[in-house]
Parts: sequence; structure tokens; C-alpha cells
Amino acid sequence: MANIKLRNITKTFGKIKALDQVNLEIKDKEFFVLFGPAGAGKTTILKTIAGIEFPDDGHVIFNDDIVNLVEPAKRNVSMVFENYALYPHLNVFDNIASPMRSPLYKKDEEYINKQIVKVTSTMKIDHLLERLPSQLSNGQRQRVALGRSLVRDPNVFLMDEPLAHLDAKLRHHMRTELKAMQTQLDTTTIYVTHDYMEALSLGDRIAIINEGKIEQIGTGDEVYYTPKNLFVAKLVGEPEINTFKGELAEVNQKVKMKVLNQIHLFDLELDVEQELKKHHSQHVIVGIRGLNVSYSFVKKDDTQIEGSVYSFEPIGNKTILIVKIGDELIRTIAPNDLQVDIDQKIFIEFDFKNAMFFDMDTEELLVRHNQEEIIKEVL
Amino acid sequence: MSQLVLQNVFKRYENKKIGRKKIVNDYAVKDLCLHCEEGEFVGILGPSGCGKTTTLRMVAGLEDITQGDIFIGDRKINNLHPKDRNIGLAFEDYALYPPMNVYDNIAFNLRAKNLAEADIKKEVMRIAPLMKVEDLLEHSPAGLSGGQKQRVNIARALVRKPKVLLLDEPLSHLDGKMRQVLRMEIKRLHKEIQCTTIIVTHDQLEAMSLADRIAIMKDGQLQQFGTPLEIYDNPVNEFVASFIGEPPMNITKVKITKTNGHLFFYFPMCDLSIAVPTKYESVLKEGMEVKMGVRPTDLFVVDMTAMGSVTQVGVFENLGDERRISIEVGEDEYLTLITTDERRYKVGEQIKLAVNEEKTHVFDIDTGNRIKPKQ
Repeated sequence: MANIKLRNITKTFGKIKALDQVNLEIKDKEFFVLFGPAGAGKTTILKTIAGIEFPDDGHVIFNDDIVNLVEPAKRNVSMVFENYALYPHLNVFDNIASPMRSPLYKKDEEYINKQIVKVTSTMKIDHLLERLPSQLSNGQRQRVALGRSLVRDPNVFLMDEPLAHLDAKLRHHMRTELKAMQTQLDTTTIYVTHDYMEALSLGDRIAIINEGKIEQIGTGDEVYYTPKNLFVAKLVGEPEINTFKGELAEVNQKVKMKVLNQIHLFDLELDVEQELKKHHSQHVIVGIRGLNVSYSFVKKDDTQIEGSVYSFEPIGNKTILIVKIGDELIRTIAPNDLQVDIDQKIFIEFDFKNAMFFDMDTEELLVRHNQEEIIKEVL
Repeated sequence: MSQLVLQNVFKRYENKKIGRKKIVNDYAVKDLCLHCEEGEFVGILGPSGCGKTTTLRMVAGLEDITQGDIFIGDRKINNLHPKDRNIGLAFEDYALYPPMNVYDNIAFNLRAKNLAEADIKKEVMRIAPLMKVEDLLEHSPAGLSGGQKQRVNIARALVRKPKVLLLDEPLSHLDGKMRQVLRMEIKRLHKEIQCTTIIVTHDQLEAMSLADRIAIMKDGQLQQFGTPLEIYDNPVNEFVASFIGEPPMNITKVKITKTNGHLFFYFPMCDLSIAVPTKYESVLKEGMEVKMGVRPTDLFVVDMTAMGSVTQVGVFENLGDERRISIEVGEDEYLTLITTDERRYKVGEQIKLAVNEEKTHVFDIDTGNRIKPKQ
């Protein structure tokens, strides 16, 4: 049981600032994800909470107590490693018992027995106690490793990319398994990943980390639908969000949008129009996901933009179609039986209702249509 | 630009004698027949150790052929020296000559052939824009990014005007974004030069998105050779079915049961029954155990009043672009589906499940082979 706070944590390695004024509050029993590219500082945050790294500045707080000077072993945190690190020569029972038999936590065998019965039945591994790790499936191994962490009744679980070493197929399966077990963990969990699907799937809330700073903290829907800036928008979603310059043009007191050197001026939703009217610049960055771009091979009206097929990738259940318009490449989604040729003429249409608009300089999100409602609606 | 034909090709690495013990190697490639058309882009796909790189090396002349024949055009190349086979090769690691700049790296093969400098320049300038390295010609390899190095590497292979271009995992050293870009470029390059091309990869996504046809190998044997869509829709066995597609196909052991004269796939661990499509009724019998396969996009949540099977949501995942429901059908086993609406489902919620009958696959439990429906 713990809520965990980080206050103005700063950490440098030599000249490199690994963490820069990090502030976080993780609620009791929350599944909290630290998500970002390699080298962003995710693992450093995790290690700071564990007590393996010592911050240059700032406080680590467990349940209102500052624990900066508390040794890792006394913080009662439990780390789950990437490859799960089960002892290969010990059976499931002994693997799970190992932390309770360690000199630090030394418990009597009766207590150990009782704890193991409790934990293995919640993790649904009570029929596997005699087996060696090599005789378990991957999913079972994951559960044994989690069970071994759970048995100590830790304040917090720390997981550092536990699925990163698996191939794509197994990762998908294990993520589902982990999600299924989430409710049984019933312990504050901090989970580090660079995979946006893991972040969105598992996290009650997600902190997006970049170059030692927190870019945004929010639910999966919040970071997907209302990314705070371009960096966050590009990090969630596959294929990556399309971004290009847009120019505001006023026609009869209505603000319209000029994009990709088209003559046609595109209409905007009223709320977007009003927000952009207030903006200090004529130029914005338009962000629009591949899902919100449609295509056709005949031109219906001026809202469609002519381009050519740059490339296409049939990837099973769908095809990612890449359309070239001037110097820009726009990605869209097509059915898997799409028949096209490279350099073929094609028309695309943007669904501006689902577009996001970012500031040219700061790259912060300015507005999207129905910004407030969109999050409420889906919840 | 020629067709490439492999006829009953076998490869066995030399048996070793260690003391009295004789180690007999199994065939690394067994009875492989591949017929690549002129100008075709063929992907050889499989897990590590399946014989895909060995196959490529035999075509290149870097490995002897134990048995069988390889033809480029009408010419049998079994005993030709690698340099006489007219092949362009690009490996995973770029192996550029570090002291030479990009221009000299690309020109290297032509200089080895004693071409005049003017002709070499003409050729290099022809290839460089194709791989978008024309601005890098003065740079030394050390200053290039991984993606740029691989572009130079492919340009160097192309400058010889090969009849067949061989690419061995060309993208696996690159990060995700660079891989996407180069995949696009390689696809466009192939359209431009129309050279018979073989790409060896373990990444199904790469094979699917690049190749006209894919040869899937396992344990040295060809499993299936077909267009990406053929392989995706009609896999010949469980191995191919599970290897292709992301998220992977749901493949679960089921029992055939009969209720009111109709056959059902029955999941004993969760008491779920899914109606057997009529096309399979004549080949499946009550009491049989088989594996049923269905892709996550071919399972649907339907209205409670519609035909279907009642079950409950085991796991719900909201992934931004799409949402997935997984139904627990056994220990460690799930049926996963991608929902078609925006709705957020709750764990434990009752849903009705329907399946796209056309896209249901049945596999033999022992051999893994597909059980074909009667036409």
C-alpha cells in the first residue's frame, strides 16, 4: 500500500542531465506507466524510486515520508526484471519462497507455506508448484515471477520493460496475460516501456517522458486524443500521425485552412475556428491520423486532394497506403486486398473534424474539435 | 534481369569427426523448389535456423550445393564462381570500406572490373539518385547513419547491373522509423529497376509489405509459396497461419460437438460453442479434436438478439487506433478480436460472439496441416 510522490527530481550523469525537475504523483494501487523513447530517463526514474539511484536534488516520498535516505532494501519495493530471472534449478514453490528465505526477510516455513498457498491461488499457479521453470509456458513463468514479487507484500511493484525481449507475437500474448492479472496484483505498480501499445493497454495513467522531462501525464485516451504536443502525438499510434503545415486564411470573416499548396480552402469546425482566430500566427501544424484520411480513385469535389501512390504495404489485415502530395507523404489505411500501382494517381480527403492543430514554434497542441467532450464521451 | 530457378536443392553442412564420434548433420535445406519470375520480388521468410540464409548463400555461390540445380535465366550456375554469377548482394551489416568515401565504395566493384573512370562515374551517378545517396558521395562511411549506410550498400550491389539482387535481412539493424522509410524506398527501387530480387527476412511484416510472393520455410523445408494475401487468407498449415499476421491468428484446440443436428467447435475450458461453418460439415465429425484458427479481424461482437455464442469479456485493451477484446478459453489461451466500434467494454461483460465463416481455418491436431473443406 503506497502512494508515491516525486518532487523536483533532478539527476545528472557527468554532463548529461538524465532527469530534469521531474514531478509525479502515483496513487495507491494505480498501474502507472512510464513511456518514452530509449534514453528518455524512464529507467532512471524507476531506479530513483527503488533507491538504486540517488537524486541530485528533490524528494522521493512514500506515503508522506521522505525516503531519500532509506536504503533500497528497506523501501519494500519489488523489482520485476526483463527476463524474469527465475532460478532454473529451483521448482516453482522454492522460487516463490526464495525472497522469504533470504537472510533479510527470514520467515519460518509455516508462514512461507501459508503465503505461497495464498499467492499461487490468486495467480492460478497452485497446480504447478513442483515444476521447474523449464517445464513452464511463458505465461506461467511470468506469473511465477510476479508471484515471487507479490509474496513479500511489497509497497510497490517496479517493472522495467518485462516484455521487451520477447518477439512480437509472444509480446502480444503476454501483454494480454499481464492485463488479465492486473486486478489480482492489487498493488501500486510502476511499469516502464517504450511500446505505445503496452502503455495504452496497461496504464491507468501514462507519463510520457522525453529527454529527462515529463511531456504529459494522462489516461490512454487523453494522450491519444489530446496529446499535449507534437512529440506525444507522434509517439502514440501506428502508422505515425501525418503532420504538415497549414495556413490560416480569412474569407468573409470565416477562418479557413490552406494546406499542401491546394487552392481549395478547407472549412473548420466552429470551435476550432474560434480558437485559431485568437492565435498569434497565420501558420500552424496540422496533425491528422491515418485513420482519418480517406482515399478514392475518382475526384468528386474540391475537398479531395490529388496525389500519387508513393508506396503501399499490405501487412495482413490492412494495407498502409502512402500518398505523395507535392513534397509531403501522407499515410492512410486501406483494406488488405487493395490493388494499386506505384505512382498511380489517387485522391485523398482529410477528416478535419478529427484533426489536431499545433503551434509552429512551441509544437504545443492549440485545439482540436470537441476537445473537452471527446474524452468524456469515450469514458 | 532473369528468372531464378531452384530445382530440388539440398544442402547438408559437412559432417565432422570428433575423435570416434561422427556428427551427422541434418539437411539445412531439403528439396527446395522455387521458381522466381523475371523481375519478381520474392521474400524468403522463416524463423532463425530455417535455412533461408543458406538458400541465399547457395544462390550467391558462397555455399556449395549438396544436391540439385540452380539456374539464372537458362544458365545453370551450380559450378560458376560467385563473381561470374551476375549477382548483387547486400548483407545485414553494411561492410562498407571505411577508408573510402561513398563514391569510391560504390565504384569499387566497377574498378575491380577495370572500367574506364568516365564510365564508372556515369554508372555511379545513375545509381546514386535511385538510393538517394547523391548528396553523400563525398562523405566517409563513419559519418553516415545506419539507414544511409544500408542505402550505400544496396547502391554498391546495384551498380554492377546484376541479373538477380539478393538482400539478406537488410533492415534488421535499423531502428523502427528508419526501417519504415527504407522499406518504402526499396519497394520503389524495385519498381524502378525491375530486377529479380530476393529478400531474406525473419520479419513477416517486411516480407508482407515488400514481396510479390513469399516463400515460407521451416526446418529447411518450404512450407508455402504464394502472394502475401494468399498466404494470409489460405495458410497451408498451422505454422504458416501463426507466423503471418499481427496480432496473430487465434489457434485453439477444440472438440467437435453436435447439438440439434448441428456441429459446433466446443471450447471445454470455458463452455463456449461456435457453430461449424457448413463448408466443413462433411469433413468434421462429432467427437473429433481439431485446432480451430480465426484471425482477430474475423471475430465480431454482435447484437444480443443476433445469431452467435454468448460469452464474456476477459480482457479489454484500448490501444488508441483500435480496441481489442480477449476471451479466456483456457489457461494461457485467449480468443482475441479487434472491435469494429469505439465502445469501451468492461471486463466480465456479456457479449455475443459471431465468426466470419469464410475465414475460419481448421488444422489437424497432430500434423498441423489444414483440413480442407469439401468444395
